[in-house]
Amino acid sequence: MTVEMAVEVGELRLRGPVLAASGTFGYGTEVPLLERRALGAMVSKGIFLRPRAGTPPPRIVETPSGMLNAIGLQGPGVEGLIRDYAPQWAQWDFPVLVNINGETAAEYGELAARLDGVPGVAGFEINISCPNVEQGGLYFGNDPRAAAAVTEAVRKRTDLPVWVKLTPMVTDIGVIARACEAAGADALSAINTFVGMSIDLNTRQPRLSFRTGGLSGPAIRPLAVHLAHQAARAVSIPVIGIGGIMGAEDALEFLVAGCAAVQVGTATFVNPNAIAGVHDGIAAYLASHGFASLAELPRYLPRD
Amino acid sequence: MFLLEAPLVARREVARGMFVLSLEAPQIANSVRAGQFVNLGWSPGPLLRRPFSVYRTEGDRIEVILKAVGAGTAQLLAMTARDTISCLGPLGHGFDLPAGPRSVALVSGGLGVAPMPLAAREARAAGISVTWVHGARSVDELCSEADGDEVIWATDDGSRGFAGTAVSAVPETDIVLACGPNRMLAAVAMRWPDAQVAVETYMGCGTGVCLGCAVPLERGGYDRACKEGPVYRAADIDWSVLPAHLPYAISA
Repeated sequence: MTVEMAVEVGELRLRGPVLAASGTFGYGTEVPLLERRALGAMVSKGIFLRPRAGTPPPRIVETPSGMLNAIGLQGPGVEGLIRDYAPQWAQWDFPVLVNINGETAAEYGELAARLDGVPGVAGFEINISCPNVEQGGLYFGNDPRAAAAVTEAVRKRTDLPVWVKLTPMVTDIGVIARACEAAGADALSAINTFVGMSIDLNTRQPRLSFRTGGLSGPAIRPLAVHLAHQAARAVSIPVIGIGGIMGAEDALEFLVAGCAAVQVGTATFVNPNAIAGVHDGIAAYLASHGFASLAELPRYLPRD
Repeated sequence: MFLLEAPLVARREVARGMFVLSLEAPQIANSVRAGQFVNLGWSPGPLLRRPFSVYRTEGDRIEVILKAVGAGTAQLLAMTARDTISCLGPLGHGFDLPAGPRSVALVSGGLGVAPMPLAAREARAAGISVTWVHGARSVDELCSEADGDEVIWATDDGSRGFAGTAVSAVPETDIVLACGPNRMLAAVAMRWPDAQVAVETYMGCGTGVCLGCAVPLERGGYDRACKEGPVYRAADIDWSVLPAHLPYAISA
């Protein structure tokens, strides 16, 4: 039995529910092994207006069932992306969303305006886990007004799909989720990495040069399932679940918890073909449980 | 680049606590160049793969060299023949042996010996005479296998060969290839700016996407040990920013 795996995330129709998470797939041009047939969409490495060198090493460290990273959003800047990568994306048979970053709400808006209409750019994922220099470095994603301001700044400059990637480092993710929805987001990605720290007992210094890093991998999965579920209950736009998905069953947890689709990240570092395995495993689960399509999968979304 | 389930076929001890594992990985064995590496994953094992320079090849087999430095390498050493190890490679940009030089010094410290047997093989194929210089803290930590027209041993405590570092034991040669702890490679860079050095960094994916293996460059910015590296012109690296405390083989 062939299972219909296509999903709609807002107005964007995807051939499958498994997407490549930002920062774990580069610009999609690096890994030759990758089986792209199963890729629903790719979210690019995060980009700023200007090129960024990134943080000094060490940038990553493995932790129990996870990893910390502090890459510092190294990247070529928007003009480099338009020149070197977008023309390749325009040839591909799956959409590419650009993960956008800024230090002020206006910078996010400028990025969206610059990328809107560039062939190969199918939409935006706003990374609101950036410090807002106009508010003393407070993260946009921790404040519903700032999160809404960024969403609105992007929304005003493009008709392409706008997703907002939520940070888990908040008191109530539902409040932020609703603020982004009200400001015009088409979907929410939940969640970004948790901020963590690891100490080297030989040097008695943090293992990462940046001191802290984003925790990803299976270690965060139950936390992520809960937060994605909370976000899904708070809004009526689609939520894309992210956090420690290594296999199909992990992805199915997010889908049952109310997500329309999922993103796979750290697993791709371990196995460049992880996304295909997750996709095929979801299809096999649906088939063996008698569902003809992903849409038929019952969701656990109590509205109490 | 290939992704293989490689059966473990043999293991031998080449220094106290230092082992060579032999894996059946035909496509990699037939295409790997000196200085390239494989990214290995095993179960039970760590979450992320760990990078290992390819030590030698023999027919369809590749060899890697390691010490038990943590839980992950202990798990790897506990595996028995026919257990499989997930093997991604060959990865990275290896040594370049240009036409012209008549002699090369292959300088290694401790586990930095890893890429040298393949480098010796390629040098010899290019008609270059090989001086093998290998150092460790003491005689029982020296890798017992050497491959050179001339072989020089160096130990910090003088228990075998030259008493001092491998770098200070190197005779005059046309070119220098080196691998070892970053502190040693920084010393190589001072003495031979044009030496080719294979650096080790923490690594996430090994395939160029995660940007975790950043190598700081003298000209500014970073590039990736897994892609542009792990072999660099010694003077191109900003050694003051590359973590010096990383021993070679931080792996697992």
